[in-house]
Amino acid sequence: MTAAAVVSPVDDEAVGESGRARSIAGHVVLTLLSVACVFPIYWLYATSLRAPEDVYSLSVLPWPLSLENYADAFAKTDMVGMLVNTTVMAVLTALGQLLVALLAAYAFAAWRFRFQKLLYLMFVGTWLVPFQVTMLPNYVLLSRLDLLDTLAGVIIPTLCSAMGVLLLRQHLMGFPKELLDAARMDGRSSWGILWTVVVPTLRPVLAALGILLAITAWNEYFWPALVLRRGNDVVQLGLRSFMGTEGNDWGPLMATAGLTCLPVFLLYLVLQRHIVNAFVRSGLK
Amino acid sequence: MRKLSLARAGVALLCATALSACGLGGETAAPSSAPATVIPELAAGQQVSIVFESYNFGQAGAWTDTFTELIGKFTAAHPNIKVTPQKPQGNSANPATDTVSSLQSQLATGNPPDVAQLGFSELDFSVNQLKAAPLDDLVGRDAVQKNFDGAKYPYAKTARALGDWNGKTYGVPFVFSTPVLYYNADLFTQAGLDPAKPPTTWAEVEQAALALKSKTGKEGVYVDCLTKSSKDWCFQSIVRSNGGRVVSEDRKTLSFAEAPSVEAVTAMQAMVKSGAMPNRTQQQGTEGFARGDIGMIVESSALQGTFGKGLKTGLRSAVLPAFTGKPVVPTNSGASLFVFAKDPAKQRAGWELIKFLTSEEAYTTISTKIGYLPLRTELVNDPAALKPWADKNPLIKPNLEQLAKMEPWVSFPGDDYVQVRDGMMSAVESVVFQGADPSTLKGKQDELAKLVPGGGR
Repeated sequence: MTAAAVVSPVDDEAVGESGRARSIAGHVVLTLLSVACVFPIYWLYATSLRAPEDVYSLSVLPWPLSLENYADAFAKTDMVGMLVNTTVMAVLTALGQLLVALLAAYAFAAWRFRFQKLLYLMFVGTWLVPFQVTMLPNYVLLSRLDLLDTLAGVIIPTLCSAMGVLLLRQHLMGFPKELLDAARMDGRSSWGILWTVVVPTLRPVLAALGILLAITAWNEYFWPALVLRRGNDVVQLGLRSFMGTEGNDWGPLMATAGLTCLPVFLLYLVLQRHIVNAFVRSGLK
Repeated sequence: MRKLSLARAGVALLCATALSACGLGGETAAPSSAPATVIPELAAGQQVSIVFESYNFGQAGAWTDTFTELIGKFTAAHPNIKVTPQKPQGNSANPATDTVSSLQSQLATGNPPDVAQLGFSELDFSVNQLKAAPLDDLVGRDAVQKNFDGAKYPYAKTARALGDWNGKTYGVPFVFSTPVLYYNADLFTQAGLDPAKPPTTWAEVEQAALALKSKTGKEGVYVDCLTKSSKDWCFQSIVRSNGGRVVSEDRKTLSFAEAPSVEAVTAMQAMVKSGAMPNRTQQQGTEGFARGDIGMIVESSALQGTFGKGLKTGLRSAVLPAFTGKPVVPTNSGASLFVFAKDPAKQRAGWELIKFLTSEEAYTTISTKIGYLPLRTELVNDPAALKPWADKNPLIKPNLEQLAKMEPWVSFPGDDYVQVRDGMMSAVESVVFQGADPSTLKGKQDELAKLVPGGGR
């Protein structure tokens, strides 16, 4: 889709030999870029489908095909448990971040109050603070709350997404004030207006943002690795358990990585329109 | 006013974060107090629970399974002690490199694991900064020595003092390996070399490598001791085998730019220049050998399993090559078990766990299931213990042979030991693989000396 968008202006202007040559060159560049993007993913699945003794093979086609690496991955780790845990973690994190972002953005967009700009700047400012800076204090706090080694410990400190607040606030700023005023005159409370007027209108944005947040949470490795010391409760940690001092166990590692990518691929296939929307909208307004 | 609540919560959160950050500094600064007298035995039925941190729990398969099995056996024998296993926290691909940072972050919370498995190169830091408990003070020197003597088979003489610091035992050496020359017998035959007579000197290694390259079209040899990612344990073997040291015997002066060391590095560089050794990263080197694309590799015996799986046939092993006319001095890599608990009951329970994990029974399980070398070496001659396993695995012989003449892997002094080690290895890597002049080692040594307590000279 992106490729078409980039190439079409060239096509429109393409007149004669030089235009066609330019168009071909463009396609060649884009094809090379696509291959560069897709090849590592192909190699991942190709390696996962090789027989364990062929794992180091450099042949492009994995032959004979074997599912042994997948069986090995299931035997060595609690794959189903990890996938369930990761889903729970990603969904709860995304829902929590959406809720916090919605409430914060609603407050910032619909009201005027003292220190509003300063507070908003602080929210935005947290986006500029690298995670590594807050990592240890957060860890100490979790330790005192006795939440280390729990999924709650992974989810709670990440519940506020500055990007979410920023994005929703920008959308709400463009929300017609007249609608809010009309609802207020009808006697709706602020809470009622949020859920009956604002949320239904924002549904596409919320869906798109929710998907982005869920994918980010699904892919998160650093924070769960710090909090979950006593097991490989999420799939990104399960991946690392195939790497170690005695060399990497590439077969099951690639099989697990392949399985880890699948839910995100599926989500993307089903909700492709929303995801592209999310990217497009986040750059709007 | 409700509108403000979120912002208030935000401010409160910021304050809480700032406060907890302050608390962090306070706790790390608190000194640890080691009990002066021997800790009491656990009373019958006294319930204790301890946390055991080991990088083995970070690796799926035989490692996790074997250690889980051992913990199960331990708790069956000591029903009053509950052991919670955990892996080091962190993000490195290899959990073994996260051990120190993991301990540091847990010490910051005031809640370190009670027993931890740490590498030998971390010994100085573990004792002086992480404040591991001196086992001689905790349970008495006699008890520590008695454990080394074992019920039937004692520790290898060279292994007993690897976790000692200033004459006291802090860590009980647990697992280790030495650098071994692995070679591909199938490629040797193809190249017209005799697989029964592997090269014993570096000059022979170079010759064999060039023969392999010209006759099979594969690469000759990869020495996995010369890059920053290989760390310095096996580089120390090479330097020691040429009569040098990377740091002086009193561990006060860096000496990796002195003649014997420079000579050794130059010899390695010459192999790259002659084409005997390909210019590869550590990962490319080990995987190239496992794929059968490189004829020989000098590597930790810990990678034997990976090589065996990759090569299927033809994997052979030999002792570390020598510099002509000089004795080989292998150094070890590996880890010891340390006690970090502060509570006497947990310290005692931790010691019980260490005793069990280093017992004849535990080593028999560890060697047969993971393939690590038993530090109670005589176990391999006992038909009731490891003899059948050793007979089936002739590849472990060079490793066992090297135990007798092994010297400890020396840790660099001071808090900046990692920078010193990495700086040295980066300099070695640029000489060997990027063709830098060997004299650049001197400049690096002078630069790194500033990081060593007392100026390192």
